[in-house]
Amino acid sequence: MTIADLLLLVLQDALWSGIAALGFAMLFNVPVRTLIGCMITGASGHAIRQALMLTGVGIEAATLIGATVVGFLALLLARRFHTPPPVFAVSAAIPLVPGVFAYKTMIGLLQIATVPTLSTEVLLETAVNGVKTMLLLAAIGLGITSPSLLFRRHLSLL
Amino acid sequence: MDSADLHGVLASPGPLLNHAELTDVVEIAAWAGQLMLQNGADSERVERVVQMMGLGLGCNGLDVAVFSNTIIITTVSGAEFRTKVRRIPAWQVNMTIVSGVNRLSRRVVTDGLDRFEVRKELNRIAHLPQHYNRWLVVAMVGLACASFSHLFGGDWPVSAVTFAAATVATVIRQELVRRRFNQFLVTIVTAFAAGVVASMGPRLGWGNSPELALVCSVLLLVPGVPLINSAQDFLNGYPMMGVARGVVGLLISLSIALGLLLAMQLMGVSGL
Repeated sequence: MTIADLLLLVLQDALWSGIAALGFAMLFNVPVRTLIGCMITGASGHAIRQALMLTGVGIEAATLIGATVVGFLALLLARRFHTPPPVFAVSAAIPLVPGVFAYKTMIGLLQIATVPTLSTEVLLETAVNGVKTMLLLAAIGLGITSPSLLFRRHLSLL
Repeated sequence: MDSADLHGVLASPGPLLNHAELTDVVEIAAWAGQLMLQNGADSERVERVVQMMGLGLGCNGLDVAVFSNTIIITTVSGAEFRTKVRRIPAWQVNMTIVSGVNRLSRRVVTDGLDRFEVRKELNRIAHLPQHYNRWLVVAMVGLACASFSHLFGGDWPVSAVTFAAATVATVIRQELVRRRFNQFLVTIVTAFAAGVVASMGPRLGWGNSPELALVCSVLLLVPGVPLINSAQDFLNGYPMMGVARGVVGLLISLSIALGLLLAMQLMGVSGL
């Protein structure tokens, strides 16, 4: 794969995740002036994760880095637009949520309960999916809150 | 941040407030805290906004306890003090209110607004209409879920089914929320509706990965705000709030799973 192919994939990813973040920003009724910021934050976070994954980084580390970018970008935009950082961070974090892993975990758990001839493969797969879901959620939480951990003293008043 | 920090900044020892004035201040501070907590702010932000409101309006000491559905505030002025307990009946997500009250609390300190102006502003913020037209939100949420299915590798038919399911689900959710049903019930019913519509894909074999529509059409219900607030609250030293919000997030996730599984059983569709 050439650099151009890679760039195109990442840009496409940014477009779709930006639209997703925009939809959630409207659902959360963010102030109109912050809409573009929400979209940019969401697109950057997900596109960076995608770029890292395309270059061979694991999804957990890539999600942590993507969520950290979301956290810092949200902080920058929040200062610029005089609004709390979560306005940007929450809708931007939604595209990072491990929906498919959570779904597979759920289906797997159901199979454990209902399928009479249970294979160890299903057990193993469900455990892996469950652990991945939890790790990714933790990575999102940690990444988004990282700026407030680092800068809390600066932010303590205004 | 403790109130001592704010004392340093607000070191303008104005006149002491009398009993009636202090009552007014604690009411305004409780109202601000309630609006923050009920619309999706994290605990530290709620506490900070209440502190700035109270101290900015002239009391010289203030303590806040934030619980998952209650906020307790004591304002102090000299030897006088007033305490108020405010219940928060239900929560939603409205970032415009969070942002508005947050800004107002800063203006109280920087512009020196008085109690009457603050009360008027809070009333205005609390009654702001939704920015986005209902049907615009429906279309955009549908588009957001369709984008997810595309990101997860679905082709156009999959995205189209996801869009249809997510828009139907959003309309149903809006109707149920407006009728003030229990939030878990709303989630189960909405996920069920999304699942029934999205089952169309697998039933008819549309697209490269029809089951993807099932996953993506319920993503509009993902409890992002409680889960992120939970993480933030744990890290900022509100473990009880972190637990409470984490459990709410988990229960909403389980409700999504329940609604979706019921729909899949009914429609005779199985996994991914």
